[in-house]
Amino acid sequence: MLENFLETLAALAEESGIANLTWQQGVMILISFVFMYLAIKKQFEPLLLLPIAFGMLLTNLPNSNMYHPELFEGTDISLGNIFKDGGLLDVFYIGVKFEIFPPLIFLGIGCMTDFAPLIANPKSFLLGAAAQGGIFFTFVGAALLGFSDREAGSIAIIGGADGPTSIFVSSQLLNGGGFSVDTGTIALAAYTYMALVPVIQPPIMKALTTQKERLVRMDSLRPVSKTEKIIFPILVTIVIALLVPDATTLVGMLMLGNLLKESGVCERLVKTAQNELMNIVTILLGVSVGATTTADKVISMAFLKVILLGVIAFCLGTACGVLFGKLMYVVTKGKVNPLIGSAGVSAVPMAARISQKVGAEYDPTNFLLMNAMGPNVAGVIGSAVAAGVLLSIIPH
Amino acid sequence: MNMQMDGTFVGSVVLSGISIVFLALILLILFVWLMDKVFKAVNGAKKKKAAPAPKEEIKAAPAPKAAPAPVVEDGISDEIVAVIAAAVAAMSAETGKTFRLTGIKRSGGTRRGAWGNAGAAENTRPF
Repeated sequence: MLENFLETLAALAEESGIANLTWQQGVMILISFVFMYLAIKKQFEPLLLLPIAFGMLLTNLPNSNMYHPELFEGTDISLGNIFKDGGLLDVFYIGVKFEIFPPLIFLGIGCMTDFAPLIANPKSFLLGAAAQGGIFFTFVGAALLGFSDREAGSIAIIGGADGPTSIFVSSQLLNGGGFSVDTGTIALAAYTYMALVPVIQPPIMKALTTQKERLVRMDSLRPVSKTEKIIFPILVTIVIALLVPDATTLVGMLMLGNLLKESGVCERLVKTAQNELMNIVTILLGVSVGATTTADKVISMAFLKVILLGVIAFCLGTACGVLFGKLMYVVTKGKVNPLIGSAGVSAVPMAARISQKVGAEYDPTNFLLMNAMGPNVAGVIGSAVAAGVLLSIIPH
Repeated sequence: MNMQMDGTFVGSVVLSGISIVFLALILLILFVWLMDKVFKAVNGAKKKKAAPAPKEEIKAAPAPKAAPAPVVEDGISDEIVAVIAAAVAAMSAETGKTFRLTGIKRSGGTRRGAWGNAGAAENTRPF
């Protein structure tokens, strides 16, 4: 009996995580601690970064069997195999891989977004479009650093400053396996940089504008009727879906959420979409995306390049928005403050708040927030359209 | 299948991507501008119909232009009146309609109190 007992102990020890921990997994566990610290102590987008960081921890604990990347490789993913051989995080990841969770988050975002500043001043759409230049110029950078078309598209979408959009695009482009980056690393970079927008944007905004431009006071926005707010989401869905069909999923769900809110007759649905649904999907999305950050994808030259390209994407997006704002300042003979151009980067409402803050540094009585919200929410639509364009141009 | 990229493909992605995003959003600008014009035209026509009647009334009583002050129940402080007036002004700005505060008084009603009433309304509201 003693022999059996010792044999059992030996077998358990052999299968234990401690015996099977590689140094790479050890490093990944430490990296997950760093991201947990950033999320909890520094409050870097904690709603998503904390589940992502914990997913990273779970997946890098040996023999946890919670996530199996091989179940999602190849073009023909078998749901039966996932449910039979997969772990809990494999099941959660179905929602990401089959493009369910990111559109549901967009539904919740639509329920929380007010498009009135954009409807009142439709020229803001141009700033929302200009800021998406960051995406496409980053694509060039990724190409120069040796990434393939699908990898470059997935990295470039980080410049859209939109977490669900980055996850949506990268999970589609990076299917089939054999890539040096994955959805988890893309999401990690996207959410980290979104939290760093208050640090990244102001120096660029100040460098690209003159004192005279920063002091421009903009007209206050006209009131927008309820009817206009109801027609807007329907109009946007039809126009975008007809022009860029691949953008229909994201834009359609965003506008559905907005229509539910603006109609005023679906209060219960809006409450659920804004709260319970968003929270449930955020937990499942975050932890399963975090689980994809396996050691081989993070401890690599490719991830360092993604980190570099991510900051470049955000800087270029801000610069493109501000420069277009300067163009509008000239064309409108000084009616548009170029500082609102940086709000075209779709980190809502952070980027708009930064336009307000930087403007107020030079004139504390200059109230730019509502004018900056127009480009900010236009940027959400713009980044969803850019995502659709990438998905339709890049073969996958 | 991965595709290593040449300059032509990269250039075409950048050019077509930026152009399509701008085209889509410019189209949206046009439609939103059109929507604004249509609403202004419709509202303008409605105002013209309503205009002749009030003109005659104005001739008859030209004097008091200011709106009458709201009737406020005793015991309600000026601060609360100001907060309620600000909320009404915000509603006007949000919906585009003009609301005017005509009076403030405490609600009578059941001994249940506001929270109790809210709970009862929540439970009896039709699905």
